[in-house]
Amino acid sequence: MKQIVVVADMKVGQKGDIIVTHALGSCLGLMVYDPVAQVGGMLHAMLPLSKINPQKAEANPFMFVDTGVPKLFKKIYSMGGQKARLVVKAAGCSAPLGKNEMFKIGERNYTILKKLLWKNGMLLTAEAVGGSDGRTVYFDLSTGRTIISSKGLESEL
Amino acid sequence: VKQTKKPNILAKVKSFPSMPGAAEKLLKLLDNPDTTAAQIEQILRYDPGLTANLLKLTNSVYFGLPCKVGSVKQAVVLLGWKRLVQLVMASCVNAVMGKPVPGYDLPAGKLWRHSIAVSVAAEDLAKELKISASEEIFTAALLHDVGKLILGGFVKEDLEKIETEASRGISFEVAERIVLDTDHAEIGAQILKNWSFPLALVNAVRWHHDPDSAGKTDILVDIVHVANILCLMIGIGVGREGLCYKSSPLATKRLGLKGTHLEMVASRTLQYVDELCDVSES
Repeated sequence: MKQIVVVADMKVGQKGDIIVTHALGSCLGLMVYDPVAQVGGMLHAMLPLSKINPQKAEANPFMFVDTGVPKLFKKIYSMGGQKARLVVKAAGCSAPLGKNEMFKIGERNYTILKKLLWKNGMLLTAEAVGGSDGRTVYFDLSTGRTIISSKGLESEL
Repeated sequence: VKQTKKPNILAKVKSFPSMPGAAEKLLKLLDNPDTTAAQIEQILRYDPGLTANLLKLTNSVYFGLPCKVGSVKQAVVLLGWKRLVQLVMASCVNAVMGKPVPGYDLPAGKLWRHSIAVSVAAEDLAKELKISASEEIFTAALLHDVGKLILGGFVKEDLEKIETEASRGISFEVAERIVLDTDHAEIGAQILKNWSFPLALVNAVRWHHDPDSAGKTDILVDIVHVANILCLMIGIGVGREGLCYKSSPLATKRLGLKGTHLEMVASRTLQYVDELCDVSES
């Protein structure tokens, strides 16, 4: 089944499912896959830290990297995923042109992700982050194959 | 002499649909403080589509009215004139802005969603910054990208050239100007001029990517500029060109904007957009 992940959203699935998210800008797209259990999930988080609006985080933890990422991993574990086997990929986190610090939400999203992974002894297998591109991600849960589409071009992550 | 497509583009601007007749009459009436709700109903009676759209928007959760509104008269009383003008405008452009936009590769509905997002984000930014921006902020934000409707076809034809220019790290609208001798902001402003819109609105659309070039600084221009970039960042209406636009450090300075303001507004924008778009799309 094809599932769409909208902004501030998460979807999980198994063999036979395809998960898609469109138009990643500075948001983080995080893809987690267990190739043995053939389960996986995708998070599309908008902002780095939930402390900016705890009320929103309560209502929708997927809006923030610090609350959304743990939710995704917990869900994958509950579906039979095992930490040692997980393949973790990241996309998005881009920024508009110019050196204006306050618009670097994408960079902060990425930093918080890396901190969380590091704390848990995990690494990114692949990433397509930064720059000023908009990105669409297709995540095939039969194989774990992740395709990034940007400016009309597709590439495998 | 360099061959340019600008004359063809401007010809398209000329033949771009004018505001629906009812809308034009309404906007004139709404400018007049002596206008009565009955007069407005009288005009809308002949445009049931516009009325239905208007009432749908009025009843969206975003405006938080205490009860469902079933008539224009009620809408006027509960929302006030200013809001009503904005919603008449939104109802009028809803259909045309809901179309797919070539060149920028925006599927059907995406430009409308982006426009609504920039409107609510701009209003929320003004509130967050405790700035009393003019009431035109909603409409200025709503229409900032109207030029894409015309320029999209031309961008598509010359996409390779434009993308080559843009790949050198310049803003996408600058690349448009290099190749097409105009950009979507200028074309948008021209459309609003043809619609006889107030100058403040025309300027906000004209300079939404380059607020520092507006003749005199204007909070309205700065806010639309920032709200637009923010909405692209959070993925609402991001086209093929991605985030290939430059933010103005001077505009953020003029507004006294901080990162926390941006993130706070971003965290609320999504809900507002859903509240307004669900009704207009159903």
